Amino acid sequence: MKSDGTLAAAPARRVMATALPALGVALLWAFLAVFLVYPLLRVFYDAFSNEAGRLTLENFVAFAGDAFYRRSLWNSLLLGLGTVAATSILGIAIALLLVRYDFPGRQLFGYLTLIPIISPPLVGVLGFTFIMGKAGTVNILLEDWLGLAKPINFVYGIHGVLLVETLHLFPMITLNVVDALSRIDPSLEEAAESVGSRGWRKLCTITLPLTTPGYVAGALLVFIWTFSDFATPLVLGVHDLLASQAYLNIVQFVDRRLFRMGLVISALMVALAIVFLIAARRYVAIKDYSSLSYSRVARRRLGPLGAAGAVTFLSAVMAFSFVPYLGVALASVGRGWSMTPFPVRYTGLFFERVIVETPKYIVNSFLYSALAVVLCIVIGVPIAWILARTRLPGRDTLDGLNTLILAVPGTAIGIAYIRAFHTELPWLGIPLTSLWIILPIVLAVRRLPYTVRGSYASLLLVHRSMEEAAASVGARGLRSFGDVTLPLIWRGVLVGALFSFMTSLQEASAVLFLSLGGWETIPVGIFAFYIAGSANEAAALGVILIAVAAVSVLVINRLAGTRMGGMFG
Amino acid sequence: MKIALREVTKRYGTTTAVDRVSLDIGDGELFTLLGPSGCGKTTLLRMLAGFAAVDGGEIRFGDRRVDRLPPYERNIGMVFQNYALWPHMTVRGNVTYGLRLRKLTAAEIARRLAGGLAKVNLSGLEDRYPGQLSGGQQQRVALARALVLNPDILLLDEPLSNLDAKIRVQVRGEIRALQRDLGITTVYVTHDQEEALSLSDRVAVMREGRVQQVAAPKALYERPANRFVADFVGTNNFIPGVVRERADGHAIVETPLGRVRTGPGDVALGGTCVLAVRPENVALDGAGDNRVEGRIRLAAYLGNTLRYDVETVGGLVLKVDVGDPWRHELLPAGHGVCVTFPAAATLVLRDD
Repeated sequence: MKSDGTLAAAPARRVMATALPALGVALLWAFLAVFLVYPLLRVFYDAFSNEAGRLTLENFVAFAGDAFYRRSLWNSLLLGLGTVAATSILGIAIALLLVRYDFPGRQLFGYLTLIPIISPPLVGVLGFTFIMGKAGTVNILLEDWLGLAKPINFVYGIHGVLLVETLHLFPMITLNVVDALSRIDPSLEEAAESVGSRGWRKLCTITLPLTTPGYVAGALLVFIWTFSDFATPLVLGVHDLLASQAYLNIVQFVDRRLFRMGLVISALMVALAIVFLIAARRYVAIKDYSSLSYSRVARRRLGPLGAAGAVTFLSAVMAFSFVPYLGVALASVGRGWSMTPFPVRYTGLFFERVIVETPKYIVNSFLYSALAVVLCIVIGVPIAWILARTRLPGRDTLDGLNTLILAVPGTAIGIAYIRAFHTELPWLGIPLTSLWIILPIVLAVRRLPYTVRGSYASLLLVHRSMEEAAASVGARGLRSFGDVTLPLIWRGVLVGALFSFMTSLQEASAVLFLSLGGWETIPVGIFAFYIAGSANEAAALGVILIAVAAVSVLVINRLAGTRMGGMFG
Repeated sequence: MKIALREVTKRYGTTTAVDRVSLDIGDGELFTLLGPSGCGKTTLLRMLAGFAAVDGGEIRFGDRRVDRLPPYERNIGMVFQNYALWPHMTVRGNVTYGLRLRKLTAAEIARRLAGGLAKVNLSGLEDRYPGQLSGGQQQRVALARALVLNPDILLLDEPLSNLDAKIRVQVRGEIRALQRDLGITTVYVTHDQEEALSLSDRVAVMREGRVQQVAAPKALYERPANRFVADFVGTNNFIPGVVRERADGHAIVETPLGRVRTGPGDVALGGTCVLAVRPENVALDGAGDNRVEGRIRLAAYLGNTLRYDVETVGGLVLKVDVGDPWRHELLPAGHGVCVTFPAAATLVLRDD
């Protein structure tokens, strides 16, 4: 028997029990609508309208009529395709070696493939210029030893962009293909052998096609990344790319026409991302190759010659990937490094400058990223829960938006935010772009997918019956979530959140558009110092960024094992 | 094509998965490897296919020694437990893949594809992807893929284990009919004794890497070689005992149920043994060479049969099948009964 009090309270509690979750879901949608959908739509509206606000195609006509933009578009497409080709060859070869063969140091190389991811591209390109630039170590050594009269141009120009992007992005392919390869049921390959297929033919007709869903996801990210990266080309002096033009056009703020061209480019990027995403989803949806496989294709032990070849190849790739680290590390502590292969004297001055004298870079970075991660968890875990556990209407849209974020370049998001949040807020009387809180928000939106994916993956592992069992012995609603689900998924949530944190610290593109004086983060500082000619200070900040990222990756690896591939799919 | 295995052995580290197995499989025979999981039957099949290296002994297909050859040089067709259909290829792509590798003419490939699909009743589904087929259809595509290459030997690894019970029986019949029509030597792996009995010419029962018995289904069921086979194939009542008398045609065995008259056996006088009696050979209140008092403990009604667990005087429980439950009134638990079984159906097995 219940007492009168509980009887009276019951209806109220029931109302709360249905109203609260509904309110929560509404807030999630509101957040995504305001901070993701609205800005992107705004960019499209601007691209399709003129100064008077009338809908028109004249911006695109102007874009298409300008030979320089046409060349930039062509260059950007070529660069993107070239990078996809180069990363694919490198990434697939490495993945095959790591998954299918056994040779000395295989596990070590498995870890080393993560190195390029640790360094943000902005830092990577800096490091390359120190070592491979016109006055870099390699050219100086060549001059000293071989009497080279003119330095070789390794990096400045579009070939340099291709080199730097390839070495930074090939792990995206490797991780995805490793993941896909290790999920192929051995009997699929045995069946091929039993009908007479082997060697290269088996690889090309059976093995590689089976990895396409994972591979396509990785290749798309590589393309979109390269297509929309402006920091790397600008550091390497390449201006005739769409992304570089978008940045230069937007940040000048003077010429309205140029500004609008920046918006057009941004809209193009978003449209491209959406088209690619839909195409990829269609493609992957019809090709669900996942199978319940309990065994793996056995690793083949390489003979001495093969092993030597594999180790040489991987060592060469890793050595190349290590070049930026060496460059940045030397530059961060070296003085008088000009026309000598290595610095003449070493000093802690640059670190002192960026840590003690102007601590704002580090303070801002950590503050914004930490706030962003809190937002990611508060928004991302419920989204993951809705995706994994409910049949709420709009689930597919939610899933689509979450994936869309992965595809939409930071450049486009940054431009979209400038446009969308430049109007004054109702009560405050100032626009959101004048408040530093916009930076944590944009970071949270950009990195949300990692938290969602990490949580979603672990939620799928917690079978629903476990929650139902808790409910059957009396745990209600949130209680079973807290007592059963949370203890089982926290690891996945943490991995996702850490990944969100690490990549937030590294975010350059969107933040570069939105950062105002006093809000500078580490990547903004690196860019500003480098452009202003203070390469050593930029390098010192780069070392700090790498150190934080390295620690994050170590922790993530400890928590999640080596299967990070799912993060990028 | 005949298959001959001589002392075939496979080791994984310190465990011996297949231990000196010797078998002769006749031309056109459907030969089944039966056993519980981990008995080495799948490993043995994979050695026949060439997916597992042979650590000792030899395998011959006809006069050709094949145990060092790679799979594609053995001319086998294999159907995998999970079918292993390539998900990125259509039915046509899957079935013709091996033909295309052999550089056959387009006309020949089309002819063989049509023939292969007709054999398994799948004509018209050429352009479907495996994901768009039912389990039974996938199974048939796998079979067609194995058969279009006109293999000498067909290897089937638990091909029915992923199908529903009803479809399993249907496909089982189809496989048997097809195999007979083609006259292809077939090795079939299963852990399901009913499947093995129903479709095999002969069955080899395996346990811990060794062959326990090779026999035709009827002989296997009625004359199991040892307690393991008697237990694994069908259901049996086991009664421990000591042989007291041996005469031509029968023996007398001392058991907890008293002295039991049995069929002949090769256990020596005074030796310990175990008696095996099938539940269908035990009757309630009927005539028989051996009679035991008991009480009904449990009744399980299965529709076509009714099984009683009868607790006898020594505390030993005997399973008793009533083959015709339509004409039988269900007895309540605790009811006293008299259980009988004939000497001829009581096997004397060595206790192992």
